[in-house]
Amino acid sequence: MAERKKVEIPENVKVKVSEGEEYDFPVDISPMHEGERIRKGEMYVELAGPKQPGFELVMALPEDQVEDMKVTIVGKDLDELEEGKAHPFAMIYYVAGEKIDTDLEPIIERRNHDFQNYIEGVMHLNQRYDVWIRVGKKAVEKGLKSLATIAKAVMLLFKNEMPFIEKIEAVYATDREFVEKTLKEVAMPIYEERDARVESLHDEDVEEFYSCTLCQSFAPSDVCIISPDRPSLCGAITWFDGRAAARVDPEGPNKAVPKGEIIDPIGGEYSGVNEFAKNESGGVTERIKLHSFLEYPHPSCGCFEVIGFYMPEVDGIGWIHRGYPEPAPNGLTFSTMAGQTGGGKQVVGFLGIGISYFRSKKFIQADGGWYRVVWMPKELKQKVLQYIPEDMRDKIATEEDAKTMEELKEFLKRVDHPVVKGVVRPVDGKKITEGWLEEKEEETEEEVEEEKVEQQPTQPMEFMQLSQLQPQSLQPVIKLTIKNATIKIDKIIVKKKE
Amino acid sequence: MIAILIAVTGKGGTGKTLVSAMLVLHLCKKGSLLAVDADPDSNLPEAFGVEVERTLGDIREIFQSSRDEIKGDKEIWFEAKIFEVVKELDNFDLLVMGRPEGEGCYCYTNNILRAILKKFMRHYDFVVVDCEAGLEHFSRKTIAGVNYLIVVSDTSRKGLRTAERISELMEELNINARKGLIGNKVIDKRSENLIREFAENSGFKFLGSLPYDEKVVECEMMGKSVVDLMKTNCSFVREFEKIVKNLESWVVLCQS
Repeated sequence: MAERKKVEIPENVKVKVSEGEEYDFPVDISPMHEGERIRKGEMYVELAGPKQPGFELVMALPEDQVEDMKVTIVGKDLDELEEGKAHPFAMIYYVAGEKIDTDLEPIIERRNHDFQNYIEGVMHLNQRYDVWIRVGKKAVEKGLKSLATIAKAVMLLFKNEMPFIEKIEAVYATDREFVEKTLKEVAMPIYEERDARVESLHDEDVEEFYSCTLCQSFAPSDVCIISPDRPSLCGAITWFDGRAAARVDPEGPNKAVPKGEIIDPIGGEYSGVNEFAKNESGGVTERIKLHSFLEYPHPSCGCFEVIGFYMPEVDGIGWIHRGYPEPAPNGLTFSTMAGQTGGGKQVVGFLGIGISYFRSKKFIQADGGWYRVVWMPKELKQKVLQYIPEDMRDKIATEEDAKTMEELKEFLKRVDHPVVKGVVRPVDGKKITEGWLEEKEEETEEEVEEEKVEQQPTQPMEFMQLSQLQPQSLQPVIKLTIKNATIKIDKIIVKKKE
Repeated sequence: MIAILIAVTGKGGTGKTLVSAMLVLHLCKKGSLLAVDADPDSNLPEAFGVEVERTLGDIREIFQSSRDEIKGDKEIWFEAKIFEVVKELDNFDLLVMGRPEGEGCYCYTNNILRAILKKFMRHYDFVVVDCEAGLEHFSRKTIAGVNYLIVVSDTSRKGLRTAERISELMEELNINARKGLIGNKVIDKRSENLIREFAENSGFKFLGSLPYDEKVVECEMMGKSVVDLMKTNCSFVREFEKIVKNLESWVVLCQS
């Protein structure tokens, strides 16, 4: 872990120190000022931004090392900077508190953006080493002469809005050498460490998952559960995004979902998730297994980047992405399957996911993970190739190897794909499929399959009833021809005209 | 600080982009102004004689396709990029919405976009949007809170029918804006009366009419900007000043 300690203040540079709280600010401070653009013509100075180096950094330190409400300015202060020009700029905050650890650093750091923007006449854009600040002429005319004033205002806001911050200290710097050196030696290693942590965080490391109900406008019963090992199926929202959104707006579309008791560690079933899904979906979804394909799969809103489909003929799973227009070996296109899968329902045999889920260490682990995957379009396979275990890379067919079920069977037999002789799932070494059986035994297996299907209250049953009903009770009076259509229907009510 | 959001729309070829540009040049003298080009078919920047390298649509596509790789907070990244594509001109800012959405799910992307644009637009005194007759950005609510919707129509039946359709669309989309109508390429009293009558019968405030003017045709042919056209002080420009006055008193009346 990158070391957390105060940065060294160089001796040959002008340094100004300001201690204690300030409450008298020359400019207004309020969330109303968020989003205000300081135009070039109204700008007193630009700090960091596209033309100059700069960064913002929050560091968690032991309580005895942080001098509360102290600001150190390294280099020229605001009123000494050349007007109309861009200058290097760094903002470093040391924070301490009983509940504060390095995990909280990025969450605290994010708020620097908000709080700086609360200050009238200060514009703060972007984050980390891309920060871009402008201070307006009007603010300077009103008396905003020192960077210490900005720092004090931001520190007060931090302590007010995040009461777990017990002590906070700031170093603001405009000295080029100091900014560049600190960015390279102190800040970058910490950013890199945080990004690495994102990759290595797993479901078992956290207490809460996050929900997403953004899509409820067209899939009213949909609930997306976002965990460290399962990003949203639209591919847009990671667990970290969910956490950030939930902290800013706890009642918004991304809510915290306490995990509760673990019910199935391999499938990824949690009592807290089940309870939440039941409430939010209005009872439509009662159980969700995050890393299962065939049992209580995650519901799909319709926004998925990729659809997985189970092919009983080979007892394997294929994946198809939105950009692939041809039919998969099961004879269905992406859009046909999307029509079946969407709407916030759990449809056994189909699963919508985001491309980033292929990266997950828990990728459909209950059903064998990559060892159960038999087909995907070449474009998609190339995109995720590095996440496929090496011994499977040549065993997953693309459209170049197989376009039909027959070709797929041939291919799988030829490469000796695990589904042929039976899949052993890596997560616990359990053999989960029997492999392709001889003709005689195949029949008994099919019966088992059918029983399974009957237990699930799935859509195809409803479809069947409808089609049986039609020829008996309704005389055909119109002929309906639909070409090139994608149709989604929540409910059809057929009534006799009275 | 609440911006007055004026949308200018109408059938293609009626001169709505010219009207938008003229309106921008007048209103920016009275307060801070953001001009928004929300019609992928038109070219508002050209009317001001400027070029815009990147549009909000480009940023949205980058966000959509690389959101997986963006480090840190995605919202903050997105906002900064939008600020980058806003072009600062001498007296106002210019934002080009650009190309429409591609395939896939834009729920998350548009949700963030909405919030950013809302926060951003409220700091201007005026926001003038040049938009196509389908009102796409309003139906997707990427631009919210339009106060005045002005339809530009020539004297053709088609132009007025488009005005009618826009009126219906507003109702469907629940757009609660006041409706104004400007006649363009009006050659005589008779056709002016036709447009005025139409406005009065269809719930539009009639803001005036602009003549068919050789100077306008010439400027458009030579690719001159609206700034150049304003300098000619031709009949079109003079009549436009009357429209601005009408618009101002209408706005004062409505706000009070």
